[in-house]
Amino acid sequence: MSIRGSFSEATDAYQLPRLIRLGPNLYAACFTLMKMVPARFILRRAAEQGMLDAGTVIVETTSGTFGLALAMQAVHMDRRLILVSDPVIDERLYRRLTDLGAVVERVSVEQGRVAGGYQAARLTRLEQIMAELDATFCPWQYSNPDNPRAYSTVAEYFLECLGQIDCIVGPVGSGGSMCGTVRHIRALLPECRAIGVDSHSSILFGHPDGPRELRGMGMSLMPANMDHRIFDQVHWTTPPAAYQATRQLHQRHALFMGPSSGAAYLAARWWADANPDALTVVMMPDEGYRYQDTVYDDDWLRQRGHLKEALPDDPILAADPTRPVGSWMAYDWNRRCYAEVMSAYGGPR
Amino acid sequence: MSMRLGEPRPAEPELLTPGLSAGIGYSIAHHGELLQGVFDDGAGRPRRALVTMPLPGRGSRAVFYPSQSHWGVVGPPGLTKARRAAIYALREFSGHPSPAKGGRVEITSNVPHGIGMGSSTSDVTATIKAVADYHGVPLSREEVGRLAVLAEVASDSVMIDDRVVLFAHRDGVVLETFGHRLPPMVVIGCDTAPGQEVETLGLPPADYTDAEAGQFQVLRGALRRAIATEDVGLLGKVATASSRINQRYLPKPGLEPLIELGARHGGAGVQIAHSGTVAGLIFDPRRPDLDLGGCLQRIAELGFAVTDVIEPAYQQLKQLNQPSQLNQPSPYRQWKPPARLAAS
Repeated sequence: MSIRGSFSEATDAYQLPRLIRLGPNLYAACFTLMKMVPARFILRRAAEQGMLDAGTVIVETTSGTFGLALAMQAVHMDRRLILVSDPVIDERLYRRLTDLGAVVERVSVEQGRVAGGYQAARLTRLEQIMAELDATFCPWQYSNPDNPRAYSTVAEYFLECLGQIDCIVGPVGSGGSMCGTVRHIRALLPECRAIGVDSHSSILFGHPDGPRELRGMGMSLMPANMDHRIFDQVHWTTPPAAYQATRQLHQRHALFMGPSSGAAYLAARWWADANPDALTVVMMPDEGYRYQDTVYDDDWLRQRGHLKEALPDDPILAADPTRPVGSWMAYDWNRRCYAEVMSAYGGPR
Repeated sequence: MSMRLGEPRPAEPELLTPGLSAGIGYSIAHHGELLQGVFDDGAGRPRRALVTMPLPGRGSRAVFYPSQSHWGVVGPPGLTKARRAAIYALREFSGHPSPAKGGRVEITSNVPHGIGMGSSTSDVTATIKAVADYHGVPLSREEVGRLAVLAEVASDSVMIDDRVVLFAHRDGVVLETFGHRLPPMVVIGCDTAPGQEVETLGLPPADYTDAEAGQFQVLRGALRRAIATEDVGLLGKVATASSRINQRYLPKPGLEPLIELGARHGGAGVQIAHSGTVAGLIFDPRRPDLDLGGCLQRIAELGFAVTDVIEPAYQQLKQLNQPSQLNQPSPYRQWKPPARLAAS
């Protein structure tokens, strides 16, 4: 009953994904920049509540796309932004952030040699900055309930487009997108399944912490926004599996997405094939441009050894979520809380 | 109560100005809501709003007898909202070449009072239409809605009878039009607390949380699809979810048994009156496993009174505008709840 309209500003145009059918019962929700959903929501809400007046500086710790989304929204709102990042930050992203007017502070390699790694070092530096400035606003994406809440818009869109959804698959990092989207969908469809896709060596679902090559998913510290009780199943992918799946997504469906999308696609395709009567939606958080010199470069993949093993057809169904098996693995989480699952295995190793 | 359903009292001659004709207005009733909560109004402001479940088989007919000698409006005792509606409507026509100074309102209605069927909204709407009719000036449905909200603080959207809308019932504005009509469906209406009455004005507005606002947003998207694609199953799920969220504010003890009952008989979901005791079991008439008869019997066994079997998409408004129907005694009044199974 309405006509198509225009967007009020650039960040408004990033709010909804494109729903693209990949198979008889599989749809991809392709975002240009998924983190724009919570970034815009949190900053606009802070402004409405009077927490973001003209002199207030927005500060946040991030080395990824949440910072980019904040920087874009800060342009619209004409606010200063300081981001605390680490040496791992992508050089092109750094240039784009500074072009948007953000101040990007990078903690040093030495500062990162503490328990919790760079994530802990960045938090320490963030607290120093907040203590130095008069008025700051930190979105705290890992603990702010407005992060998952922002995804009501996405859930509304899914239901308007599809009506019935039996399973949602997506990569997990802050917990915002999966917990937020699934919780909102379940207001109407309580039986809708949720499959979280994590990286090996991420503590989110019990793996021991370790260095992770795969970006865009997995954590070294547990985010408060993480609600384990929404997940029916968890998958852990390896970099080779995620990268190869990312390329297959491009080759078979012409979808040019990042490696966290590829990892989610791998799990979603497997589940949708095994459950042909279930309508499955897979979250794809960002596009492939940042990975053109890596995931989309065959020489890079070969040199790193990511093409040695072919992509397996099925995950290893793990009996113990705390024990990494070194390849794509899955575990039935069954909507339990973290402590309950961990207590069965003597806690995280 | 007997005043409302009985014969109109004879006109009081001293208030009538000879030679002036009367105005007539009619409004249907409703059977609670399909969805009620808080929603974004498009300008970033949250507004309380609802989607009405129309009840075309019941309604109110108002006759407005103008007076050029007396200010003020006389109306049936107890119906202060309808009297107030007439006053607001008269104010609206003060610029008319020959406005009525005041007058008298008579209402005939077969809408039960205090159980969430919108008896006062249909009285108010019919009254506003009657005053407009007398002045020969048609009011738009939205104008009637705005005046109705002025007269009674919160109104269902029975006056907007040409489409399905999300209506901000405390502001009198339409937030969204979902479609021209509801999908073909059958609703078994029942009273979950026969004999009890809810005083609408005595209810504090529900204080929805942020989390609930997010849930209502999702339900709005699903309802948009359900109406556009005539998907009764999806519409039923929306109504059930909305009913459950609102249990925190005006709990219906019988809601969960009704939801379960509907599901067992091929039902799509349950809608409720958010300011009353009625609830409706929604059925898709196209479903092969539909079992209305069995369901009607079980409702009685739960101790609830069946009020109406409603088919909103099929009933023609034309038929309902015949006043003869209104003078018949309400079937609800004649209906006696069966003896509870517990007695046997």
